[in-house]
Amino acid sequence: MTIGPTAHTTQAGPTGQPDWERLDPRMLLVHPIIEVGKFLPVLIGLLVAGGASGTGPWALLGVGVPVALGVVRYLTTTWRIHDDRVELRRGLLQRHNLSTPVDRVRTVDLTAPPVHRVLGLAKVVIGTGSVTSEADERLELDALPREQAAGLRTRLLHSRGAGAEHPDAGYAAPVIAPEVVVTRFSVRWLWYSPFSGTVLVAVGAVLAAVGQLAELVEIRISEEDFALVDARLVAAVAVAGLVVALLLGVVGYLVTNGGFLLSRQGAAWHVRRGLVTRRETSIDVARLAGVSIAEPAVLRWVRGRRVRAIVTGLGSDQSSSAVLLPPAPASTARQVAAAVLDTPEPATGTLTPHGPAARTRRFTRALLGGLPFAAAPVVVVLLTEATPRLLVLSALVVVLCLLLAIDRSRALGHAHLAGHVVMRSGSLARSRDALADRHVIGWNHRATWFQRRAGLVSVSATTAGGRGSIQVDDMPVPAACALAVAATPGLIDQFLLDPAEEGP
Amino acid sequence: MTRLRDPAHRVSPRARTLWYVEAVLEALVVMVVGVVGAVLVVPDPWRWALAAAVVVVSATVALVVPQWRYQVHRWEVSDTAVYTQRGWWARERRIAPMSRVQTVDFAQGPMARIFGLATVTVTTASAAGPLQIEGLDQAVAIRLVDDLTLKADLDAGDAT
Repeated sequence: MTIGPTAHTTQAGPTGQPDWERLDPRMLLVHPIIEVGKFLPVLIGLLVAGGASGTGPWALLGVGVPVALGVVRYLTTTWRIHDDRVELRRGLLQRHNLSTPVDRVRTVDLTAPPVHRVLGLAKVVIGTGSVTSEADERLELDALPREQAAGLRTRLLHSRGAGAEHPDAGYAAPVIAPEVVVTRFSVRWLWYSPFSGTVLVAVGAVLAAVGQLAELVEIRISEEDFALVDARLVAAVAVAGLVVALLLGVVGYLVTNGGFLLSRQGAAWHVRRGLVTRRETSIDVARLAGVSIAEPAVLRWVRGRRVRAIVTGLGSDQSSSAVLLPPAPASTARQVAAAVLDTPEPATGTLTPHGPAARTRRFTRALLGGLPFAAAPVVVVLLTEATPRLLVLSALVVVLCLLLAIDRSRALGHAHLAGHVVMRSGSLARSRDALADRHVIGWNHRATWFQRRAGLVSVSATTAGGRGSIQVDDMPVPAACALAVAATPGLIDQFLLDPAEEGP
Repeated sequence: MTRLRDPAHRVSPRARTLWYVEAVLEALVVMVVGVVGAVLVVPDPWRWALAAAVVVVSATVALVVPQWRYQVHRWEVSDTAVYTQRGWWARERRIAPMSRVQTVDFAQGPMARIFGLATVTVTTASAAGPLQIEGLDQAVAIRLVDDLTLKADLDAGDAT
């Protein structure tokens, strides 16, 4: 049995069946290192105990058990591709035999944590879109040599097309297509890292802490001269906290997304990223149902965007496998979306707004939502001796609600562009989603009594990946029907009410 | 002005009775909990007003909602698509092409069995919600499941 870069093609045994292959023997090194890491507390305990009562066989056991576990894992884990199925056997006492048809493979992820990277290894996780996410039932090869892992990925993702064209060729000779790079990491992207969600959370936490601090200070010290000093102290703490949060955000971004590379190879998209742990995700083109361009308010403010793929069979819980672009310039996002969808229109084309009724609903909903917060200061001022200056808070809430309503009503839009259903909604978390027509597997039209009175309906185009659908609120009913007719001809036509038949 | 029409078929009228029974039972529980809670917790001037409000609101809901639900719940199966409508205040219409139907499920709770009713659930590969038809007459439901299974089988592909 050959192990190494030459083992791309299946080694046929004398019976014509491919042999069971082992993982890379270098894992004998990796597992003990990781296991020793896990056993570290125990080891320290053993060393201390050993030091007290003289070194005995106990300390040896502490080192021996992890090494033995590593050897057992290496010896008991075998895999092969046979009869159009990926098969994996592992476990000593609790045997697991995992097997999945090759044509069910939806994603192939290569991950290389630091130890793996140093040794030139990569962990292969084969995604089938199965709902069981238990670690025991995942198809995971930990690990193969980097080149063999890449070869396996090519074979798994490309074999379907090749097999259909040349049924006799099998999986033996995948054509290695050239890799076309769409976009790669640029230092300029770091500018967008402070405006991503994680930093906002950090800043929020810091602000909350400062608020608490200010409150404490205000309660404890009432003298005027102290108040000045405290204000400066509080400001200093706030600035320091902000800087720390920003730094954390930038470093976090760099560690996760450093070395980012999006490329197309044959029938698959590859996303490579990570400064320390190198992660490579591959998405089969046939399973790429659409893209979701996230433009949350803060990121939009600096003209940044994020892009995520909507992948058939890949749920939102595995969404990290679907990142197509981390926070980056809007122009790059448009370029990525255009490349992935094979047409620029869904990302750039103009959307049809939802009209005055939808706008009115945005305003009533935002104001009703803000009502308790706006009313609270009024009630406090009326019922207690509090200063009327508190009413400024009410005004502030109303203004914020109005701004939110304006932004939300501007966001609402839909279109059918170049064979894609495109929907955009949201303000703080706005996103523009495009779904290819052939991946629309149903329509949900939801309308409350108020919406029905206003002639509006909330529309979801369902699909087999991502969150299960893309959706937009308050579409005028005729537009909703027209969109469904355009995207899925012949589906809803039979359920439409002909204007001629309609009664008075 | 184009719009969707209602699906062709209503669910069984016995579903309305079942929903009434369930709604009244629920309302009774809410009333008991609400009134006891109000009497024990709320101070005197508001106590009886709150208790009365709980009784009036839950009674109204129990009386109105089942009828409303029965007005809304409808379904239709053509050769190429499944179309369902459910809800009451919020009405949800779902359409799925027959070629994307993955599973057809027939379910019957203990109460539904007493009334000779059944629920048919049609799932697609989407996580955004199956198409559910509640309160079908048992015999109709069985025929519907057979029909759906047959029609969905005719379409090849893995329905994603």
